[in-house]
Amino acid sequence: MIDDIFRAAENVADEAEVFFARTEAISADLKQDKIAIGSKSSGSGIIIRIIKDGKIGVSCTDNPQTWKRCLDAACASAKFADPLTWKGLPEPADVDKRPLALDKRIKTDPYLVTDIISQLKAGSEAYKADITSGSASVAISSHTIANSNGLNYSTTGTQVHVSLEMIAGQSTGYESDTSWNLDQINPQETGEKASFFAAKGQGGEEIETKTYDVILSPMAVSQLLDAAVIPALSGRNVHTGRSVFAGKIGDYVAGEHISLVDDPMDPRGVANSAWDGEGMPVKKNPFIENGVLRSFAFDLRTAYRYDETPTASAVRTGQSGAPAIGNHNLILSGPEFDIFEDKALFVHDLIGAHTANPMSGDFSVELSSPFFAYDGELQEPVRTGMMSGNIFEILYKIQGCSKETRTLGSVIVPSVRLSDIAIIGRG
Amino acid sequence: MPVSCRYYDVRRVTGEVTQVDVDNGRVEQAGTSFFDKAVIRVLGDKGWGVFSVSGEEAEFEKLPESFIKEAYSASLVTNIHIPIQETPSSIHPVPSMKENPADVSLEEKVSILLDMYKATEGPDIVSRRINYIEKDEKVTFSDCYGNSYNYGLCRCGFSVLLVASRAGIVQMGYERDHTISGLNIRHRQDLAREATERAGRLLDAKPAKGGILRAVLDPELAGVFAHEAVGHASEGDLVKEGSSILKGKIDEQIGSPLLTIVDDPSLPEFGFCPVDDEGTETKRTEIIQKGILKSYLHSRETLASVGFGDAGHCRGMPGVEPIVRMSNTFIENGDSSYDEIISECRSGILLKGSRGGQVDPGRGMFQFNAEFGYLIEDGECTTMVRDVSLSGEILQTLHTISLIGDDLALHPGYCGKGGQTVPVTDGSPHLLLDKAVVGGCDID
Repeated sequence: MIDDIFRAAENVADEAEVFFARTEAISADLKQDKIAIGSKSSGSGIIIRIIKDGKIGVSCTDNPQTWKRCLDAACASAKFADPLTWKGLPEPADVDKRPLALDKRIKTDPYLVTDIISQLKAGSEAYKADITSGSASVAISSHTIANSNGLNYSTTGTQVHVSLEMIAGQSTGYESDTSWNLDQINPQETGEKASFFAAKGQGGEEIETKTYDVILSPMAVSQLLDAAVIPALSGRNVHTGRSVFAGKIGDYVAGEHISLVDDPMDPRGVANSAWDGEGMPVKKNPFIENGVLRSFAFDLRTAYRYDETPTASAVRTGQSGAPAIGNHNLILSGPEFDIFEDKALFVHDLIGAHTANPMSGDFSVELSSPFFAYDGELQEPVRTGMMSGNIFEILYKIQGCSKETRTLGSVIVPSVRLSDIAIIGRG
Repeated sequence: MPVSCRYYDVRRVTGEVTQVDVDNGRVEQAGTSFFDKAVIRVLGDKGWGVFSVSGEEAEFEKLPESFIKEAYSASLVTNIHIPIQETPSSIHPVPSMKENPADVSLEEKVSILLDMYKATEGPDIVSRRINYIEKDEKVTFSDCYGNSYNYGLCRCGFSVLLVASRAGIVQMGYERDHTISGLNIRHRQDLAREATERAGRLLDAKPAKGGILRAVLDPELAGVFAHEAVGHASEGDLVKEGSSILKGKIDEQIGSPLLTIVDDPSLPEFGFCPVDDEGTETKRTEIIQKGILKSYLHSRETLASVGFGDAGHCRGMPGVEPIVRMSNTFIENGDSSYDEIISECRSGILLKGSRGGQVDPGRGMFQFNAEFGYLIEDGECTTMVRDVSLSGEILQTLHTISLIGDDLALHPGYCGKGGQTVPVTDGSPHLLLDKAVVGGCDID
């Protein structure tokens, strides 16, 4: 089919690209402590992109049989696009074609998900709390990217995901875990942590309004990065006036020991691949090194539009399926020490991080599962609190990071300790 | 019925999505994509089995027996007997559109958007973007009771995003409008201009000071408040699972006697459902009546196990099993005028526009963010402020509503839950809250 598409496109386009993806998945959902829903799904999709006279057209369909209509729509779409100096789709390269995120033991087998659910439930008994909902799912997905220059890469990957929500009185606890590999996922620990936050979060006191030292969990850190920092690193936002980082290459934008690097081949990644969403060989992209802004992320379209060097940062998301700028394994690092030793306010999760101002970075969010932490452990729970600040200023307020990191989608982050954070209390 | 199913239904959604992206005067994307997805649900001996397919496999005239078997086999992992309630089933007609977007060429849409773009020029404006989206869906539903529906619904809309910058300060102006009543992009320069002016004015706005204040919410933000603080917690699935603070509170006074909150999927607004996604007729549900909790929002399943309220609130994205959702959620009009509310507030803050919100319904905590606001001093609006959030506890905050305006307005948007995003409308008149926790970057 892919060859048929290229043959048909030859007459109407200068270059063409086909991205074909297929996924099969199975899952089980807990409602309270029983499995109430079992699901299976299978589906595929095809995204056709053509370039004609520097104009890019794209269309997708989940019925590959109807590729002709999809190709027509891609060509129609190119008509309206603003032309750019197109410098070509990638040529085939010597990339590592072995699957880098495939666990062959993972099948869409119901026993696999029920076994994960049993481990999750066993873990959840560590502390006294009730399950409200949870889920376990496994998926096998494969994709092929091919273009009219003869590039044709295929790979298969696996994903396992667990999540659990629990409650004790009015205290809720949420935890989740995702990996490509059964050995790297620990459903029991996920269950244990959800029950810890629910059970131990009860009976918290209100706190007073003032500035605190705050420890953000990896989940909270990734939410804040997502809300403003990651968009500001997009080359498209930099060139269209939507990034505060524009014009600041070489300047300090974070504390001098803080780095933010996209390392697509880091072994902690959950979906590593040697090529990006456009078939470009991936490489390390050091956005921020020791506090200094070094680079931005570009896909082909944006790099060609603004005469920049492509950074193989294309990902396939969104409704149109068109490649867009993203990152692979964005790693935050800083000085490592025992950040739980001295007293600080620990925050497990944030309510409303997505409402931050993505341009200025200003935010104020409610805290989820806050505790006072000291002597290396979470101690007294705190009832409520609202944290306010600016996400870009927080990059300067990081005192240190935990040694342990977590992989949350395409972000790999430690817990971080911040100084001087405004908390509005109800005490 | 095949094997030992107690119930089955199937919903197929076929459609096209057209998007246009005008970024700083350049058309970066303008085109159409296609989808075809079906989801088959069965109730086995115990719980639900769900089978989702797309593309070629979804292209069936009559539901293949093998798909019911697949869904049934998926249900075999379940270990709890789920009862469901049979509910009244009927469909409301889909209102006709003033101008069907399908009748307007992509070329014309692009040219209308480029015209709108011209209205976004302004001093200090450094970025201008207009996005258009049109989703045209054909829905086919049938269940084992013999109910069967076909309807088409087209949702379209646009957003305008402006960024202003001066002396290192960056602010944004954002406006959007989405509708089911047909093409809505003609002659909308005023809305584009409003967003442009606001982005500029926000450069001079002061950062808000956090603390406990009296707050007036505008209709858009108060609508988000109704949605986040009350709507989610009234969803029957959350009540059933034990993760709603409103569990066990039916017939209790949980808020100000001025307060009535409604969810109405039958209202022909952006959250309109001609019939819900499990075939139940849709109608108005009064969640809170004069401060008293009266109803939960339900599916066939949650109505059977929780009771108190109406089914007809079950919605799913194409190809995904439906869950209990809001549709058009609003606070009913009170009898105070806007001027009365501002003057009664005396000293506090007026919060306007919404950047969304979130709730933890089990803990009863919510948060939402206003795009901007004004300080209220001596009963009058004074200085403009930016980046103001409000958070609070559901059960406390509902009692602090001391005045409700008479100027109900609805605003379209999208709501996410369980990984699914559905179109909704939120609305309210102006509200006065006596004691609100307002977040801002400065504290005393």
